[in-house]
Amino acid sequence: MSTPLQVYEPFKAGLPPLVRYWKSLWSRRRFISEYSRSELREQHFDSVFGQLWLVLNPLLLSAVYYLLIIIIGGASDALRYAHLTATLFLFYLVANSLTGGVKSITAGQRLILNTAFPRIMLPISAVVIAVFKFLPTLVIFFIIRSVLGLPYSWQMLWALPILLITIILALGLAITISCINVYFRDIASFLPYLTRTLLYLSPILYEASALKPALRSLQVLNPLFPILESWSQALVHGQAPQGSNLLAALAWAIGVFLIGTYFFLSREREFAVRL
Amino acid sequence: MPSASSPHKTKEIAVCVRALGLTYTTAIDRRPTLKARVKSLGRGSKQTQVIRALDNVDLDVEYGQVLGVIGANGAGKSSMMRVIAGIIPPSQGRIEVFGSVSTLLALGVGFNPSMSGRDNVFLGGLAAGMSRDEIADHFQEITEFSELGEAIDAPMRTYSSGMFSRLAFSVAATVRPDILIVDEALSTGDAKFKEKSLNRIKELRSDDRALILVSHAMATLRDVCNDVAWLHKGKLVQRGAPDATINAYQEFLQLGKSAAIDEDV
Repeated sequence: MSTPLQVYEPFKAGLPPLVRYWKSLWSRRRFISEYSRSELREQHFDSVFGQLWLVLNPLLLSAVYYLLIIIIGGASDALRYAHLTATLFLFYLVANSLTGGVKSITAGQRLILNTAFPRIMLPISAVVIAVFKFLPTLVIFFIIRSVLGLPYSWQMLWALPILLITIILALGLAITISCINVYFRDIASFLPYLTRTLLYLSPILYEASALKPALRSLQVLNPLFPILESWSQALVHGQAPQGSNLLAALAWAIGVFLIGTYFFLSREREFAVRL
Repeated sequence: MPSASSPHKTKEIAVCVRALGLTYTTAIDRRPTLKARVKSLGRGSKQTQVIRALDNVDLDVEYGQVLGVIGANGAGKSSMMRVIAGIIPPSQGRIEVFGSVSTLLALGVGFNPSMSGRDNVFLGGLAAGMSRDEIADHFQEITEFSELGEAIDAPMRTYSSGMFSRLAFSVAATVRPDILIVDEALSTGDAKFKEKSLNRIKELRSDDRALILVSHAMATLRDVCNDVAWLHKGKLVQRGAPDATINAYQEFLQLGKSAAIDEDV
């Protein structure tokens, strides 16, 4: 008698066997890359004008917000514009992960009802797509930076760990919100308000240092605050970010990722009957 | 779903279902929303309902068998197929599967309607755990069998329901799994494709493969199956030779009840 290839038994509450889950996820990593490629192709990002739009869209956005800064704040110099573009582009990495992730499970209904696979692949793919959309804007930022004549320094390499922290946070947020959307389908409609609020609470339209001390105490509630402040310090000002900011960002990112993943993994086996 | 498993012998167990029970909680609303939840706060109205889909089902499927599964709507046929395919975990009991499973459950291919048929085939295969090369090997055969021609590169939202099911059937039948589960997919498509897929099912019948067909087409089941299981309200009523079981089921449908059910309830 051969041993069974698969055994299905009632599951207990909590996490599935993590090693097996990871193996099954890892063996399907091609799905994630293929899915993001098809999705980007479907949104015409493989054509010249599609890619142009990918670049044009954040440029126009930054122009609009720069106009806003000039009207409201008055102060406007090269540094200010560089800060705005750098932080706005990184913010859109997180915002795109959220908008892409929120419907990832409900949109994958057909696949979930008919195939057994680790469901977490779907929100992960949404984040990968957001990262692919982010990369060309990074190139644009460096062009803007050069045109504005800002000096380069080795401290700018700090941007790499900050980007990594941002991606972990984006993963955590996408995984969490995709799971919530299975139970409350109207979360997707609240999302624009949430991202808009986050945008204004984060040091994008203003520099973190320009904030009133009273308002600054609110920053502990915003995971994007330390990330964007460090990002601007490293990329725009060419300074090493504050250690406390990096630690706070890392703690937020890992915390959101772990809690969101736990929540998702302990729920995902009933997605098929909830959709 | 590794397809390169060792060949199986006839009479060897393919799927072993023991005391399977499935109860699940699902939302009453088709789209559960936060708004609805907040509105019903304090009113004590229920947001979810518990559904008992399967109750103490024992079922063995051997290699070489073509098992037809029949039953009225809501009998738990699709739920049982999903549990065997590992999509829904069981609430009670145990399922052992000895081989690779390919499912064609209510037409699973095409989850993203804005992508082309080609992309959907690749994504569906990758999600099921196949490698890209494996799918590429089969792809030519899939397009030929489905007779979609150039439409394979068109977005799937432009497909008719017949084209949809032709593609789905082609995928499941081309992969040549050890265990193939087909859920009510033969009933769509035109007469010509129906016959073609029926012939394909007959071709796939072999000693080292197990087929499970869920269908309401009794004539087809009499034709291709060598075993039939009848489910009613989550319970296995009868299992045995196709003619005997189907006759009993049809008699039950006409009478509205049967001795077998009366004993059970």
